[in-house]
Amino acid sequence: MQKEHLFKVLVIGDLGVGKTSIIKRYVHQIFSQHYRATIGVDFALKVLHWDSQTVVRLQLWDIAGQERYGNMTRVYYREAVGALIVFDVTRASTFDAVLKWKDDLDLKVTLSNGKPVPAVLLANKSDQSREGLRSQIPKLDTFCKENGFVGWFETSAKDNTNIEAAAKCLVEHILAYEENITNNTDPDVVALPGYNNNTKERVRTRCVTCSKF
Amino acid sequence: MYPLRYMSSFFVSSSSVSSQEAIQLDGEILFALLKRVSPVAHRHLKKHKIDPILYMTEWFMCAFSRTLPWASVLRVWDMFFCEGVKIIFRVGLVLLKCMLGSQEKLKVCQGQYETMELLRSIEPRYMQEAFLVQEIIELAISERDIEKEHLSQLRRWKETRGELNCKSPPRMHGAKAIMAAEPPSRQDLKQHPTIIVEVPPTTESKGKKPKKTKTEKKKDTSPPLNPYPLPNDPTLPSDNLSPSESEHLQKDTPLQGSNQSLSSAEQDTYL
Repeated sequence: MQKEHLFKVLVIGDLGVGKTSIIKRYVHQIFSQHYRATIGVDFALKVLHWDSQTVVRLQLWDIAGQERYGNMTRVYYREAVGALIVFDVTRASTFDAVLKWKDDLDLKVTLSNGKPVPAVLLANKSDQSREGLRSQIPKLDTFCKENGFVGWFETSAKDNTNIEAAAKCLVEHILAYEENITNNTDPDVVALPGYNNNTKERVRTRCVTCSKF
Repeated sequence: MYPLRYMSSFFVSSSSVSSQEAIQLDGEILFALLKRVSPVAHRHLKKHKIDPILYMTEWFMCAFSRTLPWASVLRVWDMFFCEGVKIIFRVGLVLLKCMLGSQEKLKVCQGQYETMELLRSIEPRYMQEAFLVQEIIELAISERDIEKEHLSQLRRWKETRGELNCKSPPRMHGAKAIMAAEPPSRQDLKQHPTIIVEVPPTTESKGKKPKKTKTEKKKDTSPPLNPYPLPNDPTLPSDNLSPSESEHLQKDTPLQGSNQSLSSAEQDTYL
């Protein structure tokens, strides 16, 4: 039987780092040089056939870069289970803002066990940096460890580099958490996808059992 | 960047925090008015916990320029500039009513995400110029309704979230109210030209002198003078220039006014 998951994933980061472009590339396989600021929030849905038994539906919430100021992010973050935090490798200030976004995220949303939602760091516009971040890799590894990111990727929405890999990494962590939750709870109250089928079967079994007696 | 900067008389904000508050407050006002316009849509949005800022931020901040087809944008802005902010609220209410206003329509969007998707892809027939304008006109939401709701939402806001960062002055409902509140002063009427063309040397005007009397006599029958005369303009004798210039100052007032509001709009507080 196929399991279906629905995850709300936030894409956040400073103005003009390429959040919308990353989503457009990931969901619609397109890239445009034309810049158009997102106002408020935008949405996109990506359906992943994770394995033969699992379908993952990712609701990607594209939050406008200027929204970190003020309290509107609280509304946007609600019930999110993962985040992609994006910065632009050609602009240092957008990297400085990464931790502000991470703090804002952790302050306003947590998983059901109270832990921070898994977040992946995206170093976007890698096509524009000459040497890339190769020399910085050890630094970014420690940066991620110290600040609670589950991983980081050098991405380019333009060249379609590493975006699928970054999303895959995030989904793996979200699924791992989900499984963890499922295993730790009372098996009698697990609400699996396909729950309705199960109940029907159970009811039918019971009826058959009943009629036997 | 966004045309809405012109509408600073409705939002008036000095920082992005207060402009966010303003948009949230307007969202609450819109949602409260929706209860009257379409209880079905109101109940649906409430049930699925869809905060107004999730669907109306772009509508209001861009005054529907990113939502409606261009012909409708022009009509809506025309009405908005003339009649004021109630038009923006009415457009929002019409769209919500059309998209979510009946049980049948809600069957296809059972959920928060589905509803937001639906509001991002409004059916073209509801945005079509003639239909939309008619609906806007017929919708019984007045300035007083908005002001009343503004006050009660402001009260609610203070109870639940504390003081606002921005103390907004009263909204100006339409061009008439703005003109009545702030009649253009003599100072406003002065021109501040950025391109100044030198008046040609007097020798040239001496050459034209014999013609001057002719043109003056013909003046009454000739078409109206070019309000933006070039120094070489044959219909404008050069020694007449200074009095006619002061005349033009007054003629140019509407243009001057719009120039000034444009330049003050350059501070993009939403970005």
